[in-house]
Amino acid sequence: MKHSERLPEAYLTTRWQQFCRGDKTAFGEITEHNYAALYHYGTRFTPDRDMIKDCLQDLFLELWEKKESLSYISAIKPYLFQSLRNNLIHRIRRQSVFSEIKGDDPFDDISPESDWIVNETDQLTATRLKKAIDSLPRRQKEALYLKYYENLSYDEIASVMGLQRQAVANYLQYGIQKLRDYLQHVTIFLALFFSMG
Amino acid sequence: MNNYKSFEVKDWLEDLRFRDWVYHGKDDAYWLNVLRDNPLQAANMEQAREILLAVKGNQDFISEAEVKLQVGEIMQAIPDENERRILYWWNGNWLRVAAVFLLMTGFATIFYKQKNITARFGNAAKSAFNDSETLTWTEIENKTTQIKLVNLPDGSSVILKKNARLRYPKHFTKEKREVELAGEAFFEVVKNPEQPFLVYAGNMVTKVKGTSFSIRANDEDDEVKLVVKTGIVEVSANDTGKKENGAEVKKLVLKPNEQVTFNRKNQTMIAKTVTTPVLLDLPVENQDFEFKRTPLADVFASLEKTYGLDIRYDKLAIAKCTITARLGDEPVSEKLDMICTVVNAKYETRNGVILVSSPGCE
Repeated sequence: MKHSERLPEAYLTTRWQQFCRGDKTAFGEITEHNYAALYHYGTRFTPDRDMIKDCLQDLFLELWEKKESLSYISAIKPYLFQSLRNNLIHRIRRQSVFSEIKGDDPFDDISPESDWIVNETDQLTATRLKKAIDSLPRRQKEALYLKYYENLSYDEIASVMGLQRQAVANYLQYGIQKLRDYLQHVTIFLALFFSMG
Repeated sequence: MNNYKSFEVKDWLEDLRFRDWVYHGKDDAYWLNVLRDNPLQAANMEQAREILLAVKGNQDFISEAEVKLQVGEIMQAIPDENERRILYWWNGNWLRVAAVFLLMTGFATIFYKQKNITARFGNAAKSAFNDSETLTWTEIENKTTQIKLVNLPDGSSVILKKNARLRYPKHFTKEKREVELAGEAFFEVVKNPEQPFLVYAGNMVTKVKGTSFSIRANDEDDEVKLVVKTGIVEVSANDTGKKENGAEVKKLVLKPNEQVTFNRKNQTMIAKTVTTPVLLDLPVENQDFEFKRTPLADVFASLEKTYGLDIRYDKLAIAKCTITARLGDEPVSEKLDMICTVVNAKYETRNGVILVSSPGCE
């Protein structure tokens, strides 16, 4: 979980500014630091792993090309997430639109349910957790992921997903409530803690 | 120490350190102690943990090696610092410039309805009606069997192949640079984000957002093809075949090694990825101007061949001049500027002939 290792914010900001001035080493570091997190986020949208990697390559190459104009960005991570999200959605939409596999909103059908299997606990719990999360609409899942797994703030989530802050708050509130209701009948606990190691 | 005793599930969810434990296994000993000290919280913690794991969902394992591999590919695709350093003193120019490779084949003559072709290239006729200058269009047709170089008002250059025709205004408007093309051509466009460069060809509009790409269109099979070399290019369908406002219906933004096939009849675009972005048989299309201690005469010869130029110079004076540089997508005038700067030479254009004067190199 390399990407989750939080480097000091000030350090990252400095490196970003260096990158904007053409520092290739800083750029490499930024790319490596964010790659895994962006990749995992990408898996929320499509099962096509190659497409995610392609998108990421494009994203970072584009970043390098317009580096001079990026020095105003202070919230780096949300900016990268937003860029990837736009690129992926754009590509997925285009694929489906131009290959004439039309739905009303192809994007709403993208997230394959099978991607939300939890693999860290035993099979039974995994199934239960998967069912719980699958009971939520896609955007709720996404907002929860950004909030709790990626530690983004409400405002950052709003900018990444192109939503109003209030909409994000609603998604999160309903999402958590629904998950809680679903998992309410939990009775086993201790054994699971020791299995985590 | 936090007051965990009064924690509810939502408090656990909000606790960053708790999340780090659940997601990344951090501070394991600490949390086992917390659990031991707060047995009544066990159920809350467990529910919070399950919610968090559900939120995380299934995740691929992506190894550090895989990340490094991917990052390495990205780093390889960006220009090398050393090569840029050689060009240090003209980096300013270099960055302002982006090239556009537009290779277009056989278009309908729909854009050639306007017959008010007036000024030829290089004609400095002064119009008394400044406003009408933007409305005055120049048409160049290459009737020779050689390639023909055209310099646009903004400094961009275009190489026309046999029978290709290019129309452009005497002055571009402030908002955009618009040209019309029929046939095959190779464009090198000065980068200016404030003033997009648009090529109208058949029913397709190509808009340059920056950097470089290649395009090809084939009239014979009703399809227009475009492949991006580097950077970003925007393509749209021009519904009526006229460049009226709001006529564009579909837009596509293309990135390196992406190809779009545009069907002119049903206006559909199909995108796919290709391995090589090379399209047409022009030498310049696939040319890399990489010079390493190359004699200046050879550099000029290379430019002459590529752009169909006639460069004249004193062979003896430049005999000792060599060039070490990598030139990219700059318009030909920028290339000449760069080269002349390096060897401390000057050039001027007279009657289509480029005259280079140099004090020589020691």
